[in-house]
Parts: sequence; C-alpha cells; structure tokens
Amino acid sequence: MNARLLTLGLCVSAAAGCGRFGSQPATTQSERIVCIAQVYAEMIYALGAQDRLVAVDYSSTFPPEIKELPTVGYHRALSAEGILSMRPTVVLHDGNIGPPQVIEQLEQLNVPMKTFEAQPDSVEGTKQLLREMGAYFHKEARAEELCVTLDREMAAALEQATQYQDHPRVAVIHFGRASNIYMVVGAGGRGDGAAAGRMVEWAGGRMAIDRPGMQRMASPEVIAQANPEIILMTEYGYDRLGSNEQVAMLPGVAQTDAARNGRIYRVPEHELMYFGPQTGENIGKLAHLIHGR
Amino acid sequence: MLHARNLTHRIGAKALIENVTLDFEPGRLHLLIGPNGAGKSTLVKALARLLRPQEGTVRYGDVAVESFSDGALARCRAVLSQAVEVAFPIPVRDLVMMGRYPHFRGSHPGAVDEEICDEVMRFFDVIGLADRIYSTLSGGERQRVNFARVLAQVWRPSPEDARYLFLDEPLTFLDVRHQIQFMKQVRAFGARPDVVTVGVVHDLNLAARFADRLVLLDAGRVAADGTPEEVLTGDRLPAVFQITPVIVRDPSVGGIHLVFH
Amino acid sequence: MTAHRREDRAIVAGLAAVMLVGAAASVGFGAIDFSPGDMASAVWRALFSGDPLTLNQRIFLELRVPRAILGLLVGACLGVGGTLMQALFRNPIVEPGLVGTSSGAALGASLFFVLGAALGFEASVWMLPVAACIGGVVATYLVFALARSGHDGRSSIVLLLLTGLAVNALCLSGIGFLSYIARDPQARSIIYWNLGTLSGGNWTSVGIVGVATAGGTALALFHAKQLNALMIGEDEATALGVNVGRLKWIVLTINVLMVAVATAFTGVISFVGLIVPHILRVVHGSDNRFLIAGSAVLGATLLSVADLVARLSLRPAELPIGIVTSVVGVPVFLSLLRRREYLF
Repeated sequence: MNARLLTLGLCVSAAAGCGRFGSQPATTQSERIVCIAQVYAEMIYALGAQDRLVAVDYSSTFPPEIKELPTVGYHRALSAEGILSMRPTVVLHDGNIGPPQVIEQLEQLNVPMKTFEAQPDSVEGTKQLLREMGAYFHKEARAEELCVTLDREMAAALEQATQYQDHPRVAVIHFGRASNIYMVVGAGGRGDGAAAGRMVEWAGGRMAIDRPGMQRMASPEVIAQANPEIILMTEYGYDRLGSNEQVAMLPGVAQTDAARNGRIYRVPEHELMYFGPQTGENIGKLAHLIHGR
Repeated sequence: MLHARNLTHRIGAKALIENVTLDFEPGRLHLLIGPNGAGKSTLVKALARLLRPQEGTVRYGDVAVESFSDGALARCRAVLSQAVEVAFPIPVRDLVMMGRYPHFRGSHPGAVDEEICDEVMRFFDVIGLADRIYSTLSGGERQRVNFARVLAQVWRPSPEDARYLFLDEPLTFLDVRHQIQFMKQVRAFGARPDVVTVGVVHDLNLAARFADRLVLLDAGRVAADGTPEEVLTGDRLPAVFQITPVIVRDPSVGGIHLVFH
Repeated sequence: MTAHRREDRAIVAGLAAVMLVGAAASVGFGAIDFSPGDMASAVWRALFSGDPLTLNQRIFLELRVPRAILGLLVGACLGVGGTLMQALFRNPIVEPGLVGTSSGAALGASLFFVLGAALGFEASVWMLPVAACIGGVVATYLVFALARSGHDGRSSIVLLLLTGLAVNALCLSGIGFLSYIARDPQARSIIYWNLGTLSGGNWTSVGIVGVATAGGTALALFHAKQLNALMIGEDEATALGVNVGRLKWIVLTINVLMVAVATAFTGVISFVGLIVPHILRVVHGSDNRFLIAGSAVLGATLLSVADLVARLSLRPAELPIGIVTSVVGVPVFLSLLRRREYLF
C-alpha cells in the first residue's frame, strides 16, 4: 500500500515537474509520426527527420529539443486515444510497449505500426538500424554519413583504449525512471545493461561486477565487495541525489575506492545505456572519465 | 408448550448443559437462575434454536424445532440478548422495524408492520426516540428499544403457532426503576395464553419477585425446578452459589426476599 | 417509512441524474473532443447508414463509448462491493479488497506479467483479465477456507477480517517478490497495473463487466434486508430468521464476482469502494436497501468523473485512474472520519 502511494507520488511529481504534457502539436505536414522508443527517437533527430515527428513517449529525452514535443505517456502505460489524438500516420515502436489491451485496440483500428528489423544491441546492429531508418525516411546519405562517423569514432576510441595500461574497475549504477530502486550493471550478458558493459570495456575499463546483466536492487554488499575504483551513475538517479557526496553516502557505495577518491561521475542515460549514432564519441568521453585524461 | 428433552451440548470435554429435560407452559413466566457458567445462556440459545445442541430435542408444541424454516421460526420466536451494538448510524424506528422483517415479503414493510412498530414503541415508551440515532442512546434506552424490536417480532398472535419469547439477561444496563418496569411488562406480555416466556436473570430477588416458575441450573444440570419458594431454600442456595442468604417472607408482595451478608 | 422510501428514491434518482451528466462529459471529452453533432453522426452511421466510419467515428464508437460505459460499470461494482463488505463486517472502514479479492487479482496479474514474459505470451490480451480474475477468486476462497474455525465450521467475522489481512499481506509480498525478480519492463507493468486504468475498455469487457454489475447488484438488493438485520449482530440476525452462514457465502460470492471481474479489466482502483458508502451514509443513513442502489449509482458517477480527470489532466497522455481516486478519496475519507458519527 505504501509502495503504491509512493509510486503514485513519484509519478505525479515527475509528470508535473517535467512540464512536457499539455502542449499541442505544431507540425502540419502530411506525414505524422508518433515514436514510442527512445533509441528510434534519437536516431530520427540524428537523421534530420524530426520535422515528421509529432509526439514521443515519456522516456525519450534526447536530444534536448525533443522535449518540445507532446508526449503520449509512459511506454508501458499508453492509451489508444492519446496516441490517436495526434492523428499519426504511423506509430514507431521497438516492441517494448503496453498495456496489451491498448496495443490490441490500436491494431483493431488499423493504426499503422512499425518496428524496425535491426536490433541496436551492438555497433553493427546500430549501423544496420541507422541504414534501415535512413531508407525509411529517405535519408540514406545522412545515414551513411552517420555510419561512417560512428565507425571512425569507434576506431579512434578503440585505438585510444589500447594505449591504456591499466583497466580500472568500473561499476555502473542505473536508476529506473518509475522507481527509486537502483540497479548495478555487470559484465557481459544480453539485454538491459549489456550495452553499458561493452562501452566500459571499449573505453579501457573493466566491469567491477562480474555477474552478467542488470541486477535489480543489488545488495549494498555486492557493490562494496566489488570495490569499484570508478562509479558511473545515470543522470536520472544522480540528479535525484544531487551531488557526489550524496551518491558516496549510499549504502555499499560508501565503502568503495570510488567514493573514497571522489571518482563518481554523472553520465546521461542515452550515452551509456544503449547504442546510438554517437556511441563512438561517447566511448571517447567515457575513456576520459575512466582514465582521467 | 415447549418441550426440551435430554439436551446436552459440549465444547471439547466440557459439558455446557448436560441431559436437561424441561417443559415450559404458555401464560407463565419461567426464569433460569444459577451461578456464572451454569449453562443458562447455552440453554436459552438451545431452546431458541440459536444453537443446535449435540444431543436431545426441542419441540414447539408437537413440532420439532429443527423442522421449522428460518422464516417460519422467526415469525413465532423472538430473542432478546444482552447488548446490541450497531457500528452504523441507524434511526431507532428502523431498528424496531427489523423485528417485522420476518413478516413482510420483499424489501419494504406494509401498513400493519408500521402500526405494530408504533404500538410496541408506545408500549416501551420509546416512541419519543423514534428518529434518534441508536448509537447516541444511553444503555438503558438502547435496551428498551431492543425489547421493542424483539416484541414487534411476536406482537400479534400467529394463527397456527404459539409465540415463544426468550430473554437472555435482559436487565443488563437498566436502572432499578426500569428493571422493575421491564419485568412487569414482560409478565404482562407473557400472561397471554399463547405466549411461552423463558428468561435468564441474575438478580435472585427480581427472579423471586416476578417468576411463576424458577429453574436453578448448576454446572449444566437442573438442580431445582419449581416456584420461587420451592427453589430458593436455605439448604440449596449455599450449595450452588457458595453464599448463605437470610430468607425473609415479604408480606407486601406475598413472596420471599433474600438478604445477603 | 413510506415517506422515507420516497426520499430514498428521490436521492437515488438525483444521483442518477448527476451520473448521466458525468457520463455525458466522459463521452464527450478526452484526448479528442467530440461535439454532440459528431457523436450523433457516428451513431447514425453505425446504426442506420451503411457508410463506412471515419477514424474519429471509430475512435468514438470503439474506444470512447465503451470506455465511458466501462467506467460506470466498474464504479458501480466497486461501490456495491464496498457497501456489501461494510455490511458483512459490520464495520465502516472496510473496503472490497479486504477479503483478498483485489490483492489476489493483482497477484494474478503480476504472475501473468512475469510468467507471460518468460513464456512468451505477453501480448495475449485475454490472459491478463483471466489471470487477474482467477487470482481474485483464489485469494478470496483461501481467506474463507482459512477463516473456518475448527470446532463448529462457522467462520466468525473477526477471524475472516484477520485472515483477510494476512492473505492480503501474503499477496502483496508475492507481488513484491515478482516485481523484484522481474525484468524492468515487467516490473513497471506491475506498478502501472496496480494504479488502474480504463484505457483497455472495449465492448467485450463492457459486456462481461455489465453482466457482473447487473447480476451482482440485483442479488445484493435481494439480500439488503438480511444485511440490515446483520447490522445488529450475528445472533440477533439469526433470531430474525436470517441464515447468517448462507448470507456470508452469498455476499462474498457477489463481492468476488463484481470486484474480481471489474479489477481484472482495469487493475486495482482504490478508495472508491471505501468512500462511496461513507458519503451515502452521511447523506441518508445506513439502510442497505438504499445504500446498495445508491452506491451503484454514486460509484459509477465518481469513477466516470475520475476517468475524465485522468484523461484530461495530461492530455494527450493519461494519469492512471488509481492516482485520481486516491487523491480525491483520501481527503474525503479523512473529512468523513472527523464527523465521528461512527462507532468503532
């Protein structure tokens, strides 16, 4: 009961504080896209196709100007009417949407829905997705350009990483948006958190926690025992706590070398938790954080 | 007539009543007395079919009480229990009307039911409380309202059956004036030739003063049965109650009176 | 009493009029607003002319109208369920979830989210209400079976209440466990389901919940007099010819039918079942003949207005309706408690 009230309060304050609701669509062109996938939304902007976007979901927060668009709610708690009121010509989603009844309603009303084939769970997959989306939006040249940039930046980042002799132990702490539970990311695995592990390794770090994948509500002992030298925390959770000192006081975190040496860094979720066109550049940034230069 | 034959009811190994056989006649007031735990309440509940004893039978006239339907039984048998608490705000008139529930089909009462409610509320002098909320009444007022409700259930003679009225410690919460008034009302009502009245009373002097017949229970068994003079004797009371009273003849009411030291 | 009865009817009729206004607003406004003309032409086309419907007309007929009706029905179910449970437990602070129905349904839904994801049938639309309904029924039955006391096979009200609390706690910890082991998206689905929404409403769910509402309310009204008698105590009700054991079974069955079915389609919506009977008692007393009819109508009104608020406050996105009912319900409940008309 208390948990429910708490969640409720969080939702309300998050929604109110965000100020992204209630705005009206401004675009009038013939193609109207509602995008319910943060990875897709970021790529649409990278491809320069954002003029066709009329609404996004609540989790799509990058690039910053995306916040000018109306949102149709949280991607697991959608409403058919809200989406339909944006008069979409297509709804783009990556399959992670709900609740199921609402998806059924959209299907029954023959609302065109599209999921791209490519899975952006690797750099190769990300490039495939860029090309697939480039073709879809008739921005093939731009997609190709982004792929080339991604390859070049990746190569540069990996080249840079070979020069590092040491491989500091890095822990990634991710706060979920709908709850204040924090999760730590381990090395390897698939699905949630796998991207973060790969990026840290490419940036010349080593995942401090060797259990694979994202671990929910990890016991403080797990972090303390792994004793990371560096802690990367995604921005949503970091900003809730407000400062390195606050993060360093989290149970388990307080006992680590990272807390002792003040090596706790705020990293935007979109730079760390999933692959995108800027991943190569982001790895460079990570390498700077991890190696202090 | 009410006939109880060989009633026994146990919880675990303890017999609350054991092998009780009694007959109760209409038109007379029968009171059960006895120390705490003697089985008075259990016996009244068994007689009223609020409890089914493990052994023995209860018959109302010639009919086994088991064979009554719930509704038919409720139209000829009423029970007043100790203290009724109601968690919701409910007006006195609505509470009294509950006594008529077994008598009307559907969800709303007829004119006869309204008439009877008025009569019983007048009889118990609670008509002035009719629109008050029950939970705001004093303990004594509540008990009178409840007695009005219970009597509303059996206020008019039923064409086929006798009426049966059971009182389980009805005097709780009443002050002395209302106790006497209440007992007089019970006796007046119970004097009708088709009404069988059985009650439980703690106060031996009130019992002696108003009962036509007393049944003394001790440890679940009938220890004595008869008129107050026959039951309340100097050798029996100390054995059952572990206290020795002085028994005084009271010429003003023509009965006996007990004085405890 | 006849005057009283006329008053009962007048109040219920007045509430029904308010309900119709609320329902009309609920049909007209939302992420898309419909004018009376739009609505009329949609209905005309659907019923009388063969012309194909426009998308907006389909939205109106296939999303908006069933959703508005579902709101009325679910509100009625929760209101009547609350009245029934308060009457059964002779306690005004009881809500329909007390005998485990809502938390059981929530556990069923959570199991569906987690196992469904693991077994790969997450998108199946019908499994969710079925799982929730089964959860609600099983938990309620469990409460009843455990509350049967050993020596006489009867289940006392107090035992039932405490067993209900225990089973609720068990279900909540089950839900907690499931959200703990769930992957993030499933865990969030559980959280949102526990906040309730009417967004999944369609004509099929309207049909099913409609049958439960009509059947449950009629059965409840049929037993209203017996529930009144229960107000004064179990022995007293028995003396008035009520078969208390049977009545308990019937009332619980009605409650399970109404609340489990409603919850199955909408998720957990709190406070409606608690405050609706409270408000009505303050207005016009505790007679269940009035309360049952009144709580069906007032529950329907409250939920449909709450849904309107849920749809309008963040449009085109929506608030979960459970948030709206709690935000409105808690202050109303607290202010009613301060009136101190109740005996606890």
